[in-house]
Amino acid sequence: MSPAPFRSLISLTSALVCVFSAGAAQAQPPAAPAAPPSWQQGRNAEQEKSPLHPFAIEVTGKTAMLLPVDKLKVPAGFKVEVWAEGLPGARSMALGSKGTVFVGTRQLKDVYAIVDRGGKREVKTILKDLDSPNGVVFSRGTLYVAERHRITRYDGIESRLDSPPEAKVVVDGLDPQKQPGHFWKFLALGPDGKLYYNVGAPGNIVMPAYFQAGISRVDPRTGIIENYAQGVRNSVGFDWHPQTRQLWFTNHGRDWLGDESPNDTLHVATRKGQHFGYPYCHQGDTLDPEFGKNRSCSEFTPPALKLGAHIAPIGMRFYSGKMFPAEYQNNIFIAMRGSWNRAIKQGYDVTRVSFDADGKPKMEPFLTGFLVDEKADPPMWGRPNDVMVMRDGSLLVSDDQNGIIYRVSYAGK
Amino acid sequence: MSGRGRNSASAAAMFAAALCFFHGAIAEEVPRKAQACVLCHGPGGNSTDPAMPSLAGQPAQFISMQLFMFREGNRKDPQMSPMASSLSNADMNELAAYFSRQKPAAASHATASENAAAGRRLSEQHHCVQCHGPALLGLQHIPRLAGQQFAYLRTQLRGFKDKTRADFDGNMTSAAELLSEKDIEILADYLSGLAPSRD
Repeated sequence: MSPAPFRSLISLTSALVCVFSAGAAQAQPPAAPAAPPSWQQGRNAEQEKSPLHPFAIEVTGKTAMLLPVDKLKVPAGFKVEVWAEGLPGARSMALGSKGTVFVGTRQLKDVYAIVDRGGKREVKTILKDLDSPNGVVFSRGTLYVAERHRITRYDGIESRLDSPPEAKVVVDGLDPQKQPGHFWKFLALGPDGKLYYNVGAPGNIVMPAYFQAGISRVDPRTGIIENYAQGVRNSVGFDWHPQTRQLWFTNHGRDWLGDESPNDTLHVATRKGQHFGYPYCHQGDTLDPEFGKNRSCSEFTPPALKLGAHIAPIGMRFYSGKMFPAEYQNNIFIAMRGSWNRAIKQGYDVTRVSFDADGKPKMEPFLTGFLVDEKADPPMWGRPNDVMVMRDGSLLVSDDQNGIIYRVSYAGK
Repeated sequence: MSGRGRNSASAAAMFAAALCFFHGAIAEEVPRKAQACVLCHGPGGNSTDPAMPSLAGQPAQFISMQLFMFREGNRKDPQMSPMASSLSNADMNELAAYFSRQKPAAASHATASENAAAGRRLSEQHHCVQCHGPALLGLQHIPRLAGQQFAYLRTQLRGFKDKTRADFDGNMTSAAELLSEKDIEILADYLSGLAPSRD
């Protein structure tokens, strides 16, 4: 930065230049370049002509009849079918004690309930006019909903789906700035009885405030909040290992560092207070060109697994159901919503992460067929968003692009 | 349905058919649900009223999203809000599919010669081409601007700038923020005169 006297000299000079140029050309004053949309933040000069752009969901939903659902593929012995439709924007799922499936939305304002009536499923919109009600958790008769700005509870909801109770606030004031950013929330109930939620980064690559770019938790009995994990750009899926009880979470890496960099990641938090790198270090080993100056990746906890660049991992669950073959026990299923910030698209599937004898994770595709043409715009017809294990051990997969929920089951050879 | 209803429906269909004949561009019968739309948006969704947007050849996802926003109250308009209020998601998808299949009529607006280069420059400077595409033809949920009605474009840009026009993801509000009234005039004039399709 130039010392103060020089700064005033510079402004004086530029003011004079402006007066002269305005007088001489009689044209409009040179307009300041418009602020780009937030998803373009962090592009370099070369990328300004990039045709890459995020994809919008079908806000009115799409019926499975008009979609190539027969192209969906699962491993031998498994079967995939359309389980419910007519849930535009369907994202996070939670299972009620009476079997109701609750579904949150991000770009809509609704929470849905799906009631299974002897194989015929009825979809009800039970909550309306919420602010990005993305996170849903069900526990002991209560539905918890995470909106951008608050977490609320709806007690005894499963017996009152047609006249839900008033929302009771667990915690409010979670979105003080009301600015664009990764502030829709995933919500999960920890083994400690606390509700865990993300507050993402306020942009693609920016310095977050102390309460941003992390995972926090709130005790629903007291409303007391704590930061749990830091340096997490945006995690919209987490679960606890059924045996170690450690928190595992997916994370979205930054955009505009190229097709192959950085990877989106899968992490494990072994304790409270770890820092996972954002905005300084990405994927455990790549310093950010701007924020990484004078930092080292060794300061931060590295990921357990690199998932692929811009692949967009969303919901994840450990599998502890009884239906799938034994080797699937304690595997992780991750819904990959798919890349946009990449010339050759990837993701758009449900990925299985298994562990070898040393606990080393590896990934392979499990449910595929949503991606049609990796070079097309759009490249896909559907986007997996969350996964949830049902009581019978089958796996539900939500697709927010179309508002459809699929069911994957195993029938053996 | 009453006899009278049937008569007025067939009269409307005949009227539409006559218009189709004159425009010569519409290959398919106007579906029932779309008959009210074409009264203002023009036959096949090709508007001839500068204040009314053309729907012909707009991306289906764009049309269904706008209808959704009118129904949900994000977008408000004295004519469109009541029209959309009774539409189901399936109705919206059907209307979107129909209008997206119609061929856009050639642009009727002539861009003032001094605005052609200036308009192009503004469309690049303000990132219009980034989302709407290099020829401003739109894709997915992003509308075609090329050949759209002049007064309509100007009203929308003013609305985004004044933050009175709802915006699905904030991109347009951010893009229009730094436009001057003169920029808006030039952009609308430029966009309206562009060819509305590649062929």
